[in-house]
Amino acid sequence: MSNYETYLLAGVAVPFVSFFILMLFGPRIGKPLSGWLAVAAMATCCVLGTLTLVGWLGEVDSGTAAELTAAAGESQFHWADIGSVPIKVGVNLDSLTVIMFFMVTFIATWIFVFSIGYMAGHSDEVDGKSKYHRFFCYLSLFGFSMLGLVISSNLLFLFIFWELVGLCSYLLIGFYFDKKFASNAAMKAFITNRVGDFGFIFGLMMVYFFLGTLDLDGAAAAFADQYASGTGLFDPSFTINVLGWHVSGPMMATLMGIGLFCGAMGKSAQFPLQVWLPDAMAGPTPVSALIHAATMVAAGVYLVARVYRLLTPDAQLFIAGVGCITLTAMALIAIVQTDIKKCLAYSTLSQLGYMIFGLGMGAWIAALFHLMTHAFFKAMMFLGSGQVIEGCHHEQDMRKMGGLIRKMPVTGVTFLIGVLAIAGFGIPSMNLGLGGYFSKDEILAVAWDRAGIGGEGHHSDQDGHHAAASGATAFDLVSDSHEAHNGDDRVAGHALATDDADHAGVLKLMFWCALITAYVTPFYMMRCWWLTFMGKPRDQQVHDHAHESPMMYVPLVVLAIFTVVSSYALFRPLIADAAPALTDAVLVTAYDGHADDANHAKGALINLHGAHDWLFWGVGWSWAIMFLVAIVIYRNGVGLGSKLKSAFSPIATLLEKKYYFDEIYDFMFVRGCRLLASISAFWDTYVVDGIIASLTSKATERFSAFAGRGVDANIVDGVFNGMAVTAFDLSNLFRSPHTGRIRNYVLFTAGAAAVAILLLLFFDPVPDAQAILTSAGG
Amino acid sequence: MIAPKQLVRSIALLTTIATFVLSLWLIGPFLGAGSADAAGMIDIFGSSYGEKLHFVQRADWITSKNFTIEYFVGVDGLNMPLMVLTSFVGLLACLASWNFESWKVNKGIKGYFALFLLLETGMLGTFVALDFFLFYIFWEIMLLPMYFLIGVWGGARKEYAAIKFFLFTLAGSVLMLVGLVAMFFYSSEAVTRYASLATSYRPDVGVLTTGTFDLIELATNQAIQTYFNATDTYFLAKGLQFAPLMFMFLFVGFAVKLPAFPVHTWLPDAHVEAPTPISMILAGVLLKMGGYGFLRLCYPIFPAGGHHWAYCLACIGVISILYGALCAMAQTDFKKLVAYSSISHMGYVLLGVAVMTDAGVQGAMFQMIAHGISSPMCFFLVGVIYDRAHHREINRFGGLWLSMPKYGTMATIGFFASLGLPGMCGFIGELWVLLGVFAARDTFTWAVPMAILAASGVILTAGYILWLIQRVYLGPSKPEHAKFPEVTGREMLILVPLAALCVLFGILPKHLLFDFTNGTLDLIVKTMAAAPERFGSLAAGL
Repeated sequence: MSNYETYLLAGVAVPFVSFFILMLFGPRIGKPLSGWLAVAAMATCCVLGTLTLVGWLGEVDSGTAAELTAAAGESQFHWADIGSVPIKVGVNLDSLTVIMFFMVTFIATWIFVFSIGYMAGHSDEVDGKSKYHRFFCYLSLFGFSMLGLVISSNLLFLFIFWELVGLCSYLLIGFYFDKKFASNAAMKAFITNRVGDFGFIFGLMMVYFFLGTLDLDGAAAAFADQYASGTGLFDPSFTINVLGWHVSGPMMATLMGIGLFCGAMGKSAQFPLQVWLPDAMAGPTPVSALIHAATMVAAGVYLVARVYRLLTPDAQLFIAGVGCITLTAMALIAIVQTDIKKCLAYSTLSQLGYMIFGLGMGAWIAALFHLMTHAFFKAMMFLGSGQVIEGCHHEQDMRKMGGLIRKMPVTGVTFLIGVLAIAGFGIPSMNLGLGGYFSKDEILAVAWDRAGIGGEGHHSDQDGHHAAASGATAFDLVSDSHEAHNGDDRVAGHALATDDADHAGVLKLMFWCALITAYVTPFYMMRCWWLTFMGKPRDQQVHDHAHESPMMYVPLVVLAIFTVVSSYALFRPLIADAAPALTDAVLVTAYDGHADDANHAKGALINLHGAHDWLFWGVGWSWAIMFLVAIVIYRNGVGLGSKLKSAFSPIATLLEKKYYFDEIYDFMFVRGCRLLASISAFWDTYVVDGIIASLTSKATERFSAFAGRGVDANIVDGVFNGMAVTAFDLSNLFRSPHTGRIRNYVLFTAGAAAVAILLLLFFDPVPDAQAILTSAGG
Repeated sequence: MIAPKQLVRSIALLTTIATFVLSLWLIGPFLGAGSADAAGMIDIFGSSYGEKLHFVQRADWITSKNFTIEYFVGVDGLNMPLMVLTSFVGLLACLASWNFESWKVNKGIKGYFALFLLLETGMLGTFVALDFFLFYIFWEIMLLPMYFLIGVWGGARKEYAAIKFFLFTLAGSVLMLVGLVAMFFYSSEAVTRYASLATSYRPDVGVLTTGTFDLIELATNQAIQTYFNATDTYFLAKGLQFAPLMFMFLFVGFAVKLPAFPVHTWLPDAHVEAPTPISMILAGVLLKMGGYGFLRLCYPIFPAGGHHWAYCLACIGVISILYGALCAMAQTDFKKLVAYSSISHMGYVLLGVAVMTDAGVQGAMFQMIAHGISSPMCFFLVGVIYDRAHHREINRFGGLWLSMPKYGTMATIGFFASLGLPGMCGFIGELWVLLGVFAARDTFTWAVPMAILAASGVILTAGYILWLIQRVYLGPSKPEHAKFPEVTGREMLILVPLAALCVLFGILPKHLLFDFTNGTLDLIVKTMAAAPERFGSLAAGL
């Protein structure tokens, strides 16, 4: 076991220890101290994460990283057997793990610090009682689960930690559980995620059965192997009969990918499971920043990136479609939000949509890069909103804010940096920009490329050796997979490649949606910032009380610095380093899976689009145009905005009602389920039990009356009385045939004998009864 | 009758402690099994089912010219964990009975604890008995104390509940009795007819010449197996094939205990009326008798019957899962909700066994143990609050996590384990069973839809459990709960071990259970799997 594995495992263990201590002794440790304990634990993790990162960068440079990755794959713990297949788990040691680990520990540490400030007031009280230690207890548990999720080399373990982060999310959303809306939101989050997990479990099942392992690398290898040799899922004769519906192998592979993606749809709140995330803002703001913006919700993206090698083109297209719907629809809702946290929540949804869309379009590096940059700037903005909310005495309505920049300069400025980053602020051609300018625009660029706008797709010279199968649908593969394993994999791949032409229309549509949304994002973010920090104070009372505290703005500054740093250094190169191994897929392509152009993100973008500058310029200035529009509309507060809203009232209502998803789900699922439950319970009580009861009621009644009387009074007496009564009843029963008339007795005897003989002759109840009978007769 | 009242419960406690400690002794021979690979495990448990049983005791009990009923007990991977579970739950239930004096019906402490210990004897005996006759005796022994424990010390409708429990179980055991007699006579016929195959697994017996009640003999003797599972062996009438019919006779008895739809209706009533410790035993141990019966009697002895009914049983399993969950969702009585959730959870046991795949059977076994840990915990949690509030109306509770923080934390652990949260015990069994169902897709056309339906149970389960937690534990604290004392040390003594096991079994399923059980289960699964080939069309009648 290399040092790195030890660091990572220790990093997972430390928050667990903190969780355990806080769970047992939290109340005794008390208010500030239990918070600091959690911070210390997370900071230790962060140190371990940094050590790993620094060391790992050296390994990558010296080219020994791959060996370490392989070595880590060797040392695994035999956890259990499913049937006879062993389930082994170990540390997934590669660049992606290292960078995710660092990102999570770093952001978590600063958010924990922020939390101490946030919880210093009355924010830790539930129904007037301090639950301070419990908050940090849950946060520590979250740290443990999230880090476990990141390092797991096994899909089943990934799933286990996946559910544990879900549990933490449930507990933390419902932290103020005395409030009905908080506990409702917590429940909604957990159950919605369960719906996604339902699909995830099926994905797991299919991986387990068709690829014979739940190990991430093992499954990918098996998948590639089956493809190359035309066995298993790619055996042309493979078919599964589901109620007469014959599912072919590639179809099954697609379902497998979609199944796994369902998990991601739940956790990353993708359409149509997006409903829980906005409600999740009922939790304390640091939780929103850590779990519902930076880390947990990104786990879905991480999962898709990890199982990228198992995807089929159809599954990938599905993923892109879901991502595209999410990013567009949610960005539009963000425009009409008035609650500062809700506004950020919808922007998170939209950005997660971008990441998923990116993966679906084959922008593997860009999507994960966006995950990283987004984690920093969105965590920072959420913390900023937390500072605002705390400073304004729990006022979240932006319409009552305004002009806060004078009272909260640090918050205002850092928030603005976040707004610039998410909007894709940058100066084209100067390689100067923030966050989204590099990461989001790169997703767009790949999507543009994939959609084939402006002529023949440009990717053929970009995407390396697996260009071919990108557009092939699963069905094409059925007929062609014979050829695939006959010669050079690559040549065969080219042979069966159909271009993206099959889906050209859809791909184009998706690209345009993503592009237009890139114009929506700067608008709603600037609207949010302007309404909060600029203009005249609209509620003097709120404004008068506003203040900021160092405990809370130090993390903001640190994260702001990292927002800038993450745009340039460290993150993209490491992701790019992980890319070749993790995108070495047989059926889908990562269009940006190159380590070469790792160091300069925008450089890569430019390379990718050398000949198509119009896109580059078109997206590059979107932030400036839309900032201007937002400022013009909202410079004097909400007045003009409201007018516009009433002008477009049907659309605005639709957006404010979030497309009525909550209402529809409530009607269909919540009410439906309860109705079904009531029917079941009614059925159980009156029909199932009723029938059985009426069948046995006489016996039951008599017996229970006897038992009740007898036993209650005195057990012994009861038994004896009962026996007497029974004996009496029985004797009455038996007395009735004893009529004293000889002819009756003869009749009974003859009848009984006849029945007995008939039984023995015809039904043979005992083997050889006939023989016995014969011999007895003889 | 001589012991003074205050000594009664101490003696009972000491007895249960001693039993528990002794039951731990049983684990000994099974340790180290996991370090060997799969082949090594079989070596330890013997190459055929029943070989190298541990702690075997044999003595002729009732002998006659034609038959011998033995006192024959022994421990293998199938019953060892269940025995440890029984003694463990027995110990905790005894602790839970400690406040007997404060119960509504607090008379007859001697009778209560005497019956309690008699019940434990019956349960342990049922698990350990390997002679069918002995098994049947213990099975019936268990019935009587349970009847009185519910009927005397229960709640408002105790008589109704007790008699319902009694009659349901009795109806099941009547069929079992028919099976018992028939199996004896047919085994006698089998060894005569197929004398050349009748080699016993016991070297000291050699070739079997008489009928037998020995469960291991019934499952391993080739003559008996061949005759029992043959297509042309009939019972009572031509056309009534022996294996399916006998399988059903035994099955019904066990299904009542499990309980499976539609013979489950005794359970909610029994639970609601039973005192807390008895509910713990009922849910923790008695329900496991059903699953144990499938794996000890039905499947090894009548593998062809298992194949014959596979669809039917798997459907009942799926229905139990969904129906139990839906009924649980509609309940307003806290205890009744937990009772219905038991039906749902035990449905997984039936489903896992019915599909006869290795993952399915392993999952069923795990689910039994997992439910044996989580459901006593849930019932005790209900009991704790009932002791304070004297009602169980879910909608009248609320905010209990604020009024009783420790209790709230324990309840969260217990109910999340019951919900099947990964990392806790409930998850493993469910996942294994689902994988097992999916694995049966080659033999079952319906396997995939069944797996989908069963898996949708996890959503329903999350639904009703979270809704329960919200209504009982979350929300603002209520003034009427303010005076409730926090859980006492005694209550924590019961809750903490259960909570710890809920988590441990979820984290280390292999090391805590599968290492002990898989050797035996593999052999049973192999017996099942070999049936279609060995017994032809009867078993192939899927």
